[in-house]
Amino acid sequence: MTITHLNADAARAHLSEVLLRTGQEDRDAFRELYSLTSAKLFGITHRICGNAQAAEDVLHEVYLTIWKRAGAWEPGRASPITWLATIARNRAIDWQRAQGVRRTSPLDDAPDIADPGEGAEAGMLASESSRELIECLDGLEPQQRDAIRTAFFDGITYAELAIKRAVPLGTMKSWVRRGLARLKDCLDG
Amino acid sequence: MADPDTIPEDVAAAELALGLLDGEERGAALRRVLAEPGFAARVEWWRLRFAALFDLWPEHAAPPHLAARIEASLDGPTSAKASRFAWPALAAITSAIAASLLLFVMVRPEPTVPVSQPIPVARATSVLVAMLGDAKSPVAAVYDPANGALRVAAGPGVPDARVAQLWVIGGDGVPHSLGLLSSRPTALAPKGVDRGRIAPGATLAISVEPLGGSPTGLPTGPVVATGVVARV
Repeated sequence: MTITHLNADAARAHLSEVLLRTGQEDRDAFRELYSLTSAKLFGITHRICGNAQAAEDVLHEVYLTIWKRAGAWEPGRASPITWLATIARNRAIDWQRAQGVRRTSPLDDAPDIADPGEGAEAGMLASESSRELIECLDGLEPQQRDAIRTAFFDGITYAELAIKRAVPLGTMKSWVRRGLARLKDCLDG
Repeated sequence: MADPDTIPEDVAAAELALGLLDGEERGAALRRVLAEPGFAARVEWWRLRFAALFDLWPEHAAPPHLAARIEASLDGPTSAKASRFAWPALAAITSAIAASLLLFVMVRPEPTVPVSQPIPVARATSVLVAMLGDAKSPVAAVYDPANGALRVAAGPGVPDARVAQLWVIGGDGVPHSLGLLSSRPTALAPKGVDRGRIAPGATLAISVEPLGGSPTGLPTGPVVATGVVARV
């Protein structure tokens, strides 16, 4: 675990430095940033957009945004990968919603998201706060946990969740709201 | 339809942070972000908490040709990208509203500026518009990504010693100031960072602030108008 931490800290520090240099319009840094992060960000846009071509176009827009906005990243506020991944998820959701199509069936080629525990592999992303959230999610009832995780990973709304799980909208809302309240208690505890 | 008052603040903040809301519920939550800095802070807290789940997101190698395509487009607007990167299915009604808004702004320019030059049709496809407020007294905003100019119709009336301030709320759910409005049409030039935030689907909002604008960097006064950015 200690080695994992050291590696994670070093990777995070390196990524921070590369992102800061990208913010100074350093193209070499941008290239390195792309090679370090594109697989993660493409994984995000691919899952949410649901097809490779759209995921590619959205990823293009994501990296243009990163190039323009890297100077605005504040190191103390969010980790570099959080900042980058959030841009990718938000852009992909914007794209998905602009289609005006509700996606409620699972993607044919979308890999399952690993269950907590087995997926928290070593790497630049492992952190105390992520373990805490994942443990707290683990403490929820399965329906609550599933709904919250699906909303995050598929980028879908209450209405889409309800259709996907074939339950009334009100039922879905109360599952999620109870789950979020319990999650809050756990995170505060 | 649960009464929003019965939902604990933290649950409401988490719903917005997670992206569960749509339509009017999302609009109401965004207005609350603008009106209540404390609520905005809770949304941000949740957003960072949920970001922990990015750790679990499986990687997927991007196509090898994409790196070169992206790098080739760093220097500016790329027509190749614009044509490939169409956002095809904006609801027809949105486009119709947007188009009529563009017209509205074009035929109601600043009185001092003669309008003899119609905007070329080709340009119109890249322009973004938003209509803030209700149909009776809308405040139209037109943004041209090509030159970064954001033109806003005359702002809403505000009490003495107050000023209307324009905000953009993008995917991060956090309001970012775009500048102050006046009782006359205003041309703003948002900073580079904020230009990126004025994208289809983002919300523009106007709040009433002390002279000089919000002292906190977030809206402190009532939100008097909001609207969603759409591509014409």
